[in-house]
Amino acid sequence: MAEFDSSTELVAAAERIRDAGYTKTDAFSPFPIHELDKALGIKRSILPYLVFGGGILGLLSGLGLQYFTHVIDYPIIVGGRPYFSLPSFVPPAYELTILLASFAAVLGMLFLNGLPKPYHPVFNVPRFNLAMREKFFLVIEREDPKFDYEETRSLMEDLNAQEVFEVDE
Amino acid sequence: MSDTYKAPESLNRLQTAALGIGGIGVIACFAGMYLQPEQALRGWLLGFILWAGIGFGGLGILLLQYLTGGAWGVVIRRIAEACSRTIPILAILFVPILLGVYKLYDWANIYLANLAAPADAPVDKVIAWRGWFMDPNFWVARTVIYFVIFGALAYLLNKWSRQQDTAETPEKAAEFLGIATRVSGPGIIVFVMTVTFASVDWTMTLEPHWFSTIWGFLFVAGWALSCFSFSVAMMAYLSTRAPMDEVLGKRHFHDIGKLMLALVMVWAYFNFSQYLIIWSGNLTEETPFYLVRSKGTWGAIGLFLIFFHFAFPFLILLMQDFKRKAKWLAALAVFIIFMRLVDMYYIIGPSPMVGEANLHLLEVPFRLSVWDVVSPIAIGGIWLWWFIRELKRRPIVPFNDPFFENAIKHGKGH
Repeated sequence: MAEFDSSTELVAAAERIRDAGYTKTDAFSPFPIHELDKALGIKRSILPYLVFGGGILGLLSGLGLQYFTHVIDYPIIVGGRPYFSLPSFVPPAYELTILLASFAAVLGMLFLNGLPKPYHPVFNVPRFNLAMREKFFLVIEREDPKFDYEETRSLMEDLNAQEVFEVDE
Repeated sequence: MSDTYKAPESLNRLQTAALGIGGIGVIACFAGMYLQPEQALRGWLLGFILWAGIGFGGLGILLLQYLTGGAWGVVIRRIAEACSRTIPILAILFVPILLGVYKLYDWANIYLANLAAPADAPVDKVIAWRGWFMDPNFWVARTVIYFVIFGALAYLLNKWSRQQDTAETPEKAAEFLGIATRVSGPGIIVFVMTVTFASVDWTMTLEPHWFSTIWGFLFVAGWALSCFSFSVAMMAYLSTRAPMDEVLGKRHFHDIGKLMLALVMVWAYFNFSQYLIIWSGNLTEETPFYLVRSKGTWGAIGLFLIFFHFAFPFLILLMQDFKRKAKWLAALAVFIIFMRLVDMYYIIGPSPMVGEANLHLLEVPFRLSVWDVVSPIAIGGIWLWWFIRELKRRPIVPFNDPFFENAIKHGKGH
């Protein structure tokens, strides 16, 4: 793990380790840095597709539920309307669309982020708390296929980092 | 500084072409009003409502962006301002409708017939109950009031924006932004109320006995969508030319694309609310509107609207990449403007002609006159000519706005 003083240094360093071929990397900063996604080579999230899928599922289950209750299971005439009256099915189906789409958004986000995560080794480095205030950190994990202790360490020291830490598991 | 942000010269050719097409079209429409007054006037109203929607929508967007702030508001402001400054030409374009009120609106004739009826003769009770509100003279007076209100709001906002350009110090410039923002709060309430009254008077009364309480909001949302679509098309055109190629970024298009998505949904929401309430109420005063519009070709147009005024743009605008590509977004925007025309045609086309209102028809044959096609093009030409004339008169961005630099940076961002 390497510590940096500014966001520009962090982005530059991230670009270098990306170009060196590392994939199991992560960066920490006190505020969002939009360029980081690109600099670390992070692919676009699949979350939008999950949300869309959730919405479609909500729509279909909303319509399906009403069709089952009003037409198949317990047909009853309400206000002289046909059993299958689509206009009145729309509002509940719409609400379920929104509901399942938002569930997909929140739960999908947590799942993709790997949250909640009660333990993470980076907190074993005392200075890491500064990531909440003024410092920027870049991590290469040991599981990275390109990870080689000597090589990775020398690369990190070459990044103009303020300090390079080894993170205990 | 103001010379740096001059509108591009290439607009001149567009302007000349618009005037040429519009001029010929308007002459044709006037000939039509002589030959087939009623059909030609209905076509004229159709064209007017479409383009007036962009003009008045410009005023609405102007008020809205002052209230919300944001980069999109800074880059769209001068286009919306130029739209709002088309209100004078819209007033002139409304004159044929004012003169032809008896040829266009059945209620005007019913009102006169009610007055002329002997004391014990049957009268049209709905129109009689509304009393002096349906007096054609009062209708004309109301229309004048609407134009005065819209015009006054547009005049004030444009004046302060102009003063901001010539302000000597940044503090002074910020002050004019402050005034405009403070007036926009009450202004937008007045705007929505005026749109409600105007849309009811101009379009809903085509169905003299029918009413819908959400009518005004349908037009507020529809006109805002029209104007956003028009502005996106305009911005895409400008973004490839100096000086706007330096100002506009893909993020601006992304933001306005999101607003278009929201308005497409709002339009569908309001329309469906109206349908659902009338459908479940199932009352004889209300249902004829949809009975007529769900049969034959009218019904097909209704479905076409659901799929192409709502579903298709909605699904496409969900995609992030689509919203960030100016050209694609502009192509969709032009399509949406076309769908706005279809929507207005769906409202105006099947409504009863003069003398038909009291027949209470439940089936109306499909009718599309040549004027329904010619008038939107003719009025569009004249309107666009005036719009470009107004757009060229001022710097194309509010360069003195305190948030101008930020707005440019935002557009270039990730």
